[in-house]
Amino acid sequence: MLTIVFRAIIIYVVVLFLYRIMGKRQLGEMQPFELVLTLIIADLATIPMAEVSVPVLHGIIPLLTLVVLHFVLALLCKFSEKFSQFVSGKPVIVINPKGIDYKALKNLDISVDDVFEALRGSGYFKIEQVQYAIMETNGKMSVLPKSDFAPLTVQDMKLKVEKSTLPINIISEGKLSKENLKVAKLDELTVSNILKKAGAKRVKDVLLLTVDKAGEVYVQKYHQKYQTMKVKPLGEVEE
Amino acid sequence: MTKWLWFKLLAVLSILAVVIGMCVLEDRVVKTSLAAVNNRCYEIEAAIERNGGIVNGEVASLVDNLEYRWFKDEAGMCYLVNHKNTEQLGVEIVRLKTYIDEEEEIEFYVSLNIIKNYVETFQHFMGASVENIL
Repeated sequence: MLTIVFRAIIIYVVVLFLYRIMGKRQLGEMQPFELVLTLIIADLATIPMAEVSVPVLHGIIPLLTLVVLHFVLALLCKFSEKFSQFVSGKPVIVINPKGIDYKALKNLDISVDDVFEALRGSGYFKIEQVQYAIMETNGKMSVLPKSDFAPLTVQDMKLKVEKSTLPINIISEGKLSKENLKVAKLDELTVSNILKKAGAKRVKDVLLLTVDKAGEVYVQKYHQKYQTMKVKPLGEVEE
Repeated sequence: MTKWLWFKLLAVLSILAVVIGMCVLEDRVVKTSLAAVNNRCYEIEAAIERNGGIVNGEVASLVDNLEYRWFKDEAGMCYLVNHKNTEQLGVEIVRLKTYIDEEEEIEFYVSLNIIKNYVETFQHFMGASVENIL
């Protein structure tokens, strides 16, 4: 039994390492060859775990071989568009201004219901709202709505708005991130001032504290409503 | 190229080197171990001919030597070869000793031939060949 435990640990570490090498894309938008690879890896990894007579290397070596193969394939796809199309296929327009392209649907072996499902997933419930719908190589559908149904943007309204900035987590679940503090160009004095203002005695009392580049602070204590305030990089807190 | 890409390329090249290295190592270890078993089998056969039977000190000593070497090599082979594939060889080697004790010459020859056959056919079944790949 102990052998199986150790084998499971070894294989887990190896598979984790291999997925990191292959990149994050593996986890989400998978191309056909990536999906095949994922399925085989899952199967291969379990063989030496379940069968003690099989050496761990018999599981690991094929996994490593597949990773090398994947890398070569990805490289070839990068350099040759034709090869990439051969391996992954190419995006297909399933809805155009004339409506549904039935021939494209037949080629893709999908039904009209599947198209509707994908459209609803993109937030469009009526087909007349859609100008183009493209079936991507990873199986997801990209939708371009007709101008009348496109979401209104700030640019459309010709409004002047402040640039949106990314909030930085300073405290998360009672833990202060000194690294993020540096990124936000704040010091611990500023944080303690914010905490005082928010009525928190210690960092541990805070569920979340974020600051964006405009100095907007979001602070929420455990089991309490959040508060917002403004901050200057010198440790002063504004209302 | 970014640092991450360089790392990825280095990792993939290292993996490739490891895979090739392991294949070569497996081939060498298996060939060396099985060749050693095969040679000892022929030595046992020659000793039987010289002494006119299996019940004598020389054959017993050679069988002991075969057993010792095989179990030593098998420990290393376990990292590379499915244990089930080497199990039978170990069983037959242990049987040889019993047959000497029981003075069962025919059974002894049967086991010895099974071992020789196993060694000769192992490469055929497990080695890299078009038949095995397909």
